[in-house]
Amino acid sequence: MDGLNYLTVAYLGMIAGIAIWTWTVVTRSKSIEARLAAVEASVGVSASDADAIAKKVDE
Amino acid sequence: MAARSAEALLGVGFLGIMATLYLGFQWAPSVSIDAFESPAAQRIFYWHVPAAWAAFIAFAVLFAGSAMWFFKRSPLGWRLHVAGAEAGLACGLITVWSGCVWGAAEWGTPWDWTDVRLNTFGLLTLLALFLVLGRQSQPDGVETRDTFSTFGLYGFILVPLTYIATRIWEIRHPGPVIGTGDDSGSLAGDMAIVLLLGALSFTVFILGHILMSMRITGLEQRLEQVQHQIDGGN
Repeated sequence: MDGLNYLTVAYLGMIAGIAIWTWTVVTRSKSIEARLAAVEASVGVSASDADAIAKKVDE
Repeated sequence: MAARSAEALLGVGFLGIMATLYLGFQWAPSVSIDAFESPAAQRIFYWHVPAAWAAFIAFAVLFAGSAMWFFKRSPLGWRLHVAGAEAGLACGLITVWSGCVWGAAEWGTPWDWTDVRLNTFGLLTLLALFLVLGRQSQPDGVETRDTFSTFGLYGFILVPLTYIATRIWEIRHPGPVIGTGDDSGSLAGDMAIVLLLGALSFTVFILGHILMSMRITGLEQRLEQVQHQIDGGN
């Protein structure tokens, strides 16, 4: 294999790594946001209560 | 708002990373064909070095978060710990992968077990892997957090060791080409500009990832809290 082939393999691997990592993080964020909204809606937690819960988590 | 900021940083960072790749191929001069076994493969350096830099930022965040959790029991500290470990793992793997491919092209072997920098950086990446997988397999609790924070605190010693490794024991990994403090830096001006753009882009990108990861951990904690309330707790 010559240097250019090594370079291609390296960059394709890194692009795939960055793409998979970013895709995983963004979809995880969207998914958990949707789950949280659904759970809060199902138990009737209002936006202000949700903020209070979020504050409690931070304490 | 926080999600939007994180996504904006990810987008800007990604564009910068891609611009670095383009400039690295199209604009930056090639190295002397006499100085390298595989001169073409040297262009890996435009992502390899910035990824390693971003990994160090992530490990610094991991250290700060571990300390904040361990000494202050700060939930923000725990979120920083989680974000730092995930970002450190991703950037560490990118660095190790690109380094191995370059090593295969230049040295004829992807890894040298006698080289201090390769091994300390490999250990750092393994530490991040342990922290990410360990957190996913263990129930969340004070003891679990304490254990992983301890690893985050003590593991950080590998960061300065990795940084100075090629200055003290230059075995196989090339020594520093910028910031050497004397005239021994051998990087051409155009190369340095592309490398700087890469470092800035990876820094912005990793900050976006860290913010995103912290937000996810916060949402997970909030979800647990709501579920706890549904189950009859307070």
